[in-house]
Amino acid sequence: MIKKAFCVVTFNSTNHAIQGEKILKDRNIEIKVIPTPREITASCGLSIRFDKKFLEEVISCIQSAALNIKGIYEIMRENGKRIVNKVY
Amino acid sequence: MKKEVDARGKACPKPVIMTKKALDEIESGVVITIVDNEVAKENVSKLAKSMNYNFKVEKTKDNDFVIHITKGEVVEVESNTCQPNIFKDMTVVFGSDKMGKGSDELGKILMKGFIYTLTESIPYPSTLLFLNSGVKLTTEGSEVIDDLKKLEEQGVEILSCGTCLDFYNLNGKLKVGEVTNMYTIVEKMKNATNTIVL
Repeated sequence: MIKKAFCVVTFNSTNHAIQGEKILKDRNIEIKVIPTPREITASCGLSIRFDKKFLEEVISCIQSAALNIKGIYEIMRENGKRIVNKVY
Repeated sequence: MKKEVDARGKACPKPVIMTKKALDEIESGVVITIVDNEVAKENVSKLAKSMNYNFKVEKTKDNDFVIHITKGEVVEVESNTCQPNIFKDMTVVFGSDKMGKGSDELGKILMKGFIYTLTESIPYPSTLLFLNSGVKLTTEGSEVIDDLKKLEEQGVEILSCGTCLDFYNLNGKLKVGEVTNMYTIVEKMKNATNTIVL
């Protein structure tokens, strides 16, 4: 039983995350700034959550804006447990 | 113990205050409040509901409403979910649309993160109160409407201060939850075992 997966972009700093939010919002990609899920890192970082269907769009946007990111992860819920895969 | 409260001809919120005073004065028993209009009947009924007391309303031939409230008989609140312990008896007060003091930009981001995280962790607080610029979170243009709606669907009570909506010209722009007044705000804060003011 896999529940809907979503992706998160993680950053090296809070300011990078804020910059990332602005850039992705300007491209009209549906995103949400969330605290970085604990499965990825226990730090108090911010990350950007988006639907998996925007993955290509987000990657190309990050590349064209030369945005400094840490990584992109896919998070799935399976039997109440969260599974994390690094996708970029 | 039986107490009668004649609140006919009294303007809002007088009937509610009189009824509450009478309820507070008795250990257990019945308070019978008489009011002469629909709004007062609704408000007194809401008070009984919020205190989890059984009540019944009768309409008299003079078009007055007689509300019988029984104190001491706590109503079993039916939960619409199958999960036990989904709520914590906790009220969270949002006095601002930002979290903490310092950078406004950061404060807004932290607040968004906080509300999102509330949707991700059980038990949920039973009530969220929004006042002063906190009402910007429950109205048009807010980025957390989806998260708040998710909480509301789970049964979390979401209340925004009417005076504050009015002050910020946000009347009619409420996107989630209901409008409330200071009486309810004070009551919710006093009655919860745990109140967190942000």
